[in-house]
Amino acid sequence: MIVGLGVGFLAALPRLYRIPVLQSLSKLYASFFRGTPILIQLFLFYYGLPEVLKLQGIDLSRVPVLVFVIATYGLNVGAYISEGIRSAVTSVDRGQIEAAYAVGMNGLQAFRRIVLPQALAIAIPIFANVTIGTLKDTSLAFTLGVMELTSKARSLGLLAQHFMEAYIGLAIIYLMISLLLERAFQFIERRMLRHEQPISSSKQARSFKLWQKRRPAPDASLNKGGQ
Amino acid sequence: MIKLQNITKSFGRLQVLKGIDLVVEKGEVVAILGPSGSGKTTLLRCINYLEKPSDGEITIDDFTVNCKRPSKKDIHTLRGKTAMVFQQYNLFRHKTALENVMEGLVVVQKVEKEEARRRSIELLEKVGLGNKLNAYPSQLSGGQQQRVGIARALALNPEVILFDEPTSALDPELVGEVLAVIRNIAKEGITMIIVTHEMGFAHDVANHVVFMDEGIIVEEGKPNDIFVSPKEERTKQFLKRITPEGVYSI
Repeated sequence: MIVGLGVGFLAALPRLYRIPVLQSLSKLYASFFRGTPILIQLFLFYYGLPEVLKLQGIDLSRVPVLVFVIATYGLNVGAYISEGIRSAVTSVDRGQIEAAYAVGMNGLQAFRRIVLPQALAIAIPIFANVTIGTLKDTSLAFTLGVMELTSKARSLGLLAQHFMEAYIGLAIIYLMISLLLERAFQFIERRMLRHEQPISSSKQARSFKLWQKRRPAPDASLNKGGQ
Repeated sequence: MIKLQNITKSFGRLQVLKGIDLVVEKGEVVAILGPSGSGKTTLLRCINYLEKPSDGEITIDDFTVNCKRPSKKDIHTLRGKTAMVFQQYNLFRHKTALENVMEGLVVVQKVEKEEARRRSIELLEKVGLGNKLNAYPSQLSGGQQQRVGIARALALNPEVILFDEPTSALDPELVGEVLAVIRNIAKEGITMIIVTHEMGFAHDVANHVVFMDEGIIVEEGKPNDIFVSPKEERTKQFLKRITPEGVYSI
């Protein structure tokens, strides 16, 4: 995930700043990783890459599987995140960047101090989506023989001959982790968007009051009126 | 002193500025008037290089930029001598009023944090927002946001403050508070160039009025000369359209 964040960030920059060659490379990268199933990417990286590199005389047979898995997921996540960052950065309005220049900042300062903090806050829901999605995708790593949650559950089920129980347990574990992540992201988002909060929270308060008003008062129950 | 020489600007084939010459003395308040599309905002944005002029020369103090091929450093120096107040306020939305004002001081001018804070609070009090230091832009009204914008510009202690239609986006009842603040700082002898549609305000505050149309300066002079006895036909027509008869006669 963290690898993905870094890769995604790097891949987003060329397209934001329209750097000629890198821009199309990053486009190609994003469409490849978003357009092919992660399972195939895993196979390609684990089985294909060492073969190709062997021709160059580089031996990867000692590298643990986990490294391949992490690299693949990192690149995969990076593709999604680069798109997220790109859209978030473009959504920060141009006027603030102009204001930053007018104050005397250079491009880097304006990006780091004004654009990035706001873009990250906007992109948090996208990060949350991708993270939770990736968490579940890790279940595919067992095809390469990595002992992760799903394969653990399978072997437990095999051992005890109780597959249903093992898989229900597995589902609950995934759900718990997802819920935890969801909460964490909610917390981060609220913190990072605290400058926009007062308006939304007062709106919420207002609609809550409206909802309260529409509900009949507790003592005005139906049977009372009928008698 | 600010001196613009033969500033031209084209967007594609459309020539928006057709050779502007303008001299602004230190401490002068200049109002630029003109119909929309006359190039007045573009001219203002050329002065701090938010818009890149096609040709011409900009001099502020004794620093001259040749617009044919300016270096990055030239542009940076130029922006360091100017500050701008925007039509849409353009405050940094993730920063409080105080942080907005401090930002330029701390990041660009490298003023120490405590000192920057002290000066910023002073300025925010001056524009009447001493009780809103920690409010975010989304919690402020348009008029308040624009006053923060003015404080942010003042904080930089620039040679000139450029106002780009500072009241055009405001509700009518909020225009007054912003104009009052600008009026106040005009008295302190800060050089200002103001693009505005507020004729009454331009008449009161400015001591140099410039009328632009179709990318050239049609007429310029003292406010009374322009508003009461304009020489050019186009100026007369514009003023007649915009102000009811007799308002500006004295």
